[in-house]
Amino acid sequence: MFKARLRAPAIAIVAIVFASVLASPAHAAATKYPLTISSGGFKTTISKEPKRIISLSPSATEIFFSIGAAKQVLLVDSLSNYPKSAPISDISAFEPNVEAIVGKKPDLVLLSVDAMKSTEIRNALIKLKVPVLMEKAPTQLSDVYAEINVLGKVTNKQIKANALSKKMSTDIKGILASAKKSTGVRIFHELDDTYYSVTSDTFIGRVYKDFGVVNVADAAAGADSYGYPQLSAEYLLKSDPQAIFLADAQYGVTTESVAKRAGWSQISAVKNNKVFALTADVPSRWGPRLVDFYRDIAKALAKIS
Amino acid sequence: MIKINNLSVRYGDFYALNHITLEIPRGTWTCLVGPNGAGKTTFLKTLLGNKAYDGSITIDGLEVYKNLRNVAFVPQRPEIPAGMDVAEYVMLGRARLDGWGRESKKSRQFVHTILEETQLLGLQHQLVTQLSGGEMQRVLIARALVQEPEIMILDEPTSALDLHHQISTLNQIDRLKDSGTTIISTMHDITLGAMYAERIIVMHKGQVLLDGPSNEVIHSPELKKAFDNGISIFTLDSGRPVIVASRELPAP
Amino acid sequence: MQTQEMGRIWHWRTTVFVGILLAFILLLGVSFGPISLDFTKIIRTLFGFSGGLKDEERTLLLELRLPRVLLAALVGAALATSGAVYQTVFRNPLADPYLLGAAAGAGLGATLAFTGSNKTFYAALPLFAFLGAVLAVAATFLISGKAFSDPATLLLSGIAIGSFATAVQTYLQQRNSQVLRPVYSWILGQLTVADWNVVKWASIYIVLALFILIRMSRLLDGLLLSDEEAFSLGISPNKIRIIAIAAATLATATAVSASGLIGFVGIVVPHLVRGLTKRATNRALFTVALTGAGFLVLADLGARTLLSPAELPIGVITAFVGAPFLLFVLRAKRVMK
Repeated sequence: MFKARLRAPAIAIVAIVFASVLASPAHAAATKYPLTISSGGFKTTISKEPKRIISLSPSATEIFFSIGAAKQVLLVDSLSNYPKSAPISDISAFEPNVEAIVGKKPDLVLLSVDAMKSTEIRNALIKLKVPVLMEKAPTQLSDVYAEINVLGKVTNKQIKANALSKKMSTDIKGILASAKKSTGVRIFHELDDTYYSVTSDTFIGRVYKDFGVVNVADAAAGADSYGYPQLSAEYLLKSDPQAIFLADAQYGVTTESVAKRAGWSQISAVKNNKVFALTADVPSRWGPRLVDFYRDIAKALAKIS
Repeated sequence: MIKINNLSVRYGDFYALNHITLEIPRGTWTCLVGPNGAGKTTFLKTLLGNKAYDGSITIDGLEVYKNLRNVAFVPQRPEIPAGMDVAEYVMLGRARLDGWGRESKKSRQFVHTILEETQLLGLQHQLVTQLSGGEMQRVLIARALVQEPEIMILDEPTSALDLHHQISTLNQIDRLKDSGTTIISTMHDITLGAMYAERIIVMHKGQVLLDGPSNEVIHSPELKKAFDNGISIFTLDSGRPVIVASRELPAP
Repeated sequence: MQTQEMGRIWHWRTTVFVGILLAFILLLGVSFGPISLDFTKIIRTLFGFSGGLKDEERTLLLELRLPRVLLAALVGAALATSGAVYQTVFRNPLADPYLLGAAAGAGLGATLAFTGSNKTFYAALPLFAFLGAVLAVAATFLISGKAFSDPATLLLSGIAIGSFATAVQTYLQQRNSQVLRPVYSWILGQLTVADWNVVKWASIYIVLALFILIRMSRLLDGLLLSDEEAFSLGISPNKIRIIAIAAATLATATAVSASGLIGFVGIVVPHLVRGLTKRATNRALFTVALTGAGFLVLADLGARTLLSPAELPIGVITAFVGAPFLLFVLRAKRVMK
């Protein structure tokens, strides 16, 4: 009689405990090593949890430090200036010195596919028993989350990585939702003071596209097959952007200097004081600060009625 | 035997050499004389084979542009290379005979002999850029001599030499006739030319004005005409002719 | 009486000395780098004795450093010898192996390879650079027309072809912004990742070309004289010029395709040898090749150790050494006069 009355609840309790154990994120999300993972078009095998990572990509560096893998990062390349606490070195992300890298005895190197002779460098490092994770520049937002997840898996920080991706996704969606639908607002994203810009085919261009704005560089898309055409002052006068975003503010270009350019005072953005300096490096990194990029654009567009 | 048949060298309408036909037998010394611009140097260079020509020039039946015979050339104005010493410069004359490879023992001995005979041994380690005009000329001739050439072509070979060296050099060239070398030279000094060459060809405006044994040509009126009557011919007691420029140029 | 003969024309002592120096420099080249290796162990590994380096260190020495140093030696020899030959052919002490448009052609080839988003194009970069250099020189000859063997005409044609190739290259770079950085990097010259594969095919072409040129050295000396004099010595000046330029271009194109555009070697090294031996004849070619090899190995050593772990482009080192050296040579010449 005692057994019969306890059987159903007992089974229920066991079932619940069992289910919760199975569903526990700590358990399921622990990375199993050795790990073989695809990234950047290459397969990489990592034998154990990396504790001495050399990151040769500023964006990847930012991601590592946001998913709690900071202690696992040994060195970062010369351009990885964020966060400030990252152990910056003289190693070039674009032309890395294989011997110098090997000399630091890393157990994982993160290398961009766009580095000079990246395939040969990868092969040389592998020959010297250093695993290499290749990174390809993202073309759209989902690529960014994919990279975050890969880096999370590799460093056994999957929970934090997933959390970061989720938070970024939520934040960006939120920014886009609350941003006034700026359909038709004409914008110009300035890369440098010779008026190189980005079309909507580029990663940066897609960010603007999400806001529904009109990118004046799109009309010049034919001028460069990679989506980075050089515009002329005359063309900018004609297309009359209502907002100008300065990605070159860190190189000394200011709203005042832009206003001083010959003929530019006729451009709506200049007339109405809608020239915005973007935070240094933010547009060119695809890590956690991507959200800041969206936020900066939203803030700027909000000023345009 | 050199056979020249209807040889012409044209620059557009201008004939530097105008339909020349003659033969030069083996082992003779022919001297070309004539005023500046007569075509003497052009003739020599064409004979060498490096110039384009109409007509035919053959040495033992082979056209000269094929460069199949051993023809030495002593230019009036050589290209003086930097960073080469006299030994190497003269040794270049043996290069073809050594198959363009390492110098043979024979070459090394022969060059030494020639440098000794031309009193140039002391200069062998001098850079050719540091030679005086006269030394350069003697070195040029030494280079031609070491070639053991079948034909030797000389363009004003003694113009920079002192009297002593003029005679000794020409004597040495003269000895080549004994081994069958054919010599063709131009000389401004007709007296000297007549001393060594048994045949003189007088050229004028790209054509052969006069061609014959030295003695005859010297004393002929055409010679005087070729130089616009600006020369006088004297005969020494020994019978040797001496040709000098006249002070008075008669009215044209 | 024993016939006396001429003494040695060339001082082989100089060549032997340079050869020994080169061996020493090669050893230096593999011994230094960001990772320090035990010197005795290096020697043991290189000569196959026991007790040498193991595992990763051994791989580092044999798979990374050794091919790189050998490639530097080959490229240095190729550029120096080509430079010397060009100086003979053009009778100009400032001629370098990139005359006649070879550099611009190679640059254009490299740009094309970088431009194709096609991975196979990129992998074929050395081939593109090589073809670019060779085709540019061929084009130079073509547009020279009948005067194709006149040095002055060739020089002018080379300038024309070079300018054209550069213009096309610039246009391509403008239309394909992503290639700007890799092309610029390539132009500065780099030996960063050399493997045995590169060394293999580079050595075949370069050794072949240098062998031809050194074998031709007496013929090349004839080119230092006027065309008539050369002809009288049995040389066909036009034919020899073409063969010389072809062989030198082969060496240069191979060097460029393996390591980008490294400048100054072709001018500085022949002058260096000339200054030491007081001779500018082609008997010096073998010595020039050895000196060029040593020169570039030293430059590469500097490139990867001076600012370690960053790598200086090797073209920067050769320019830093080459420019003042040239000035020194020119001043010395003036003083001598």
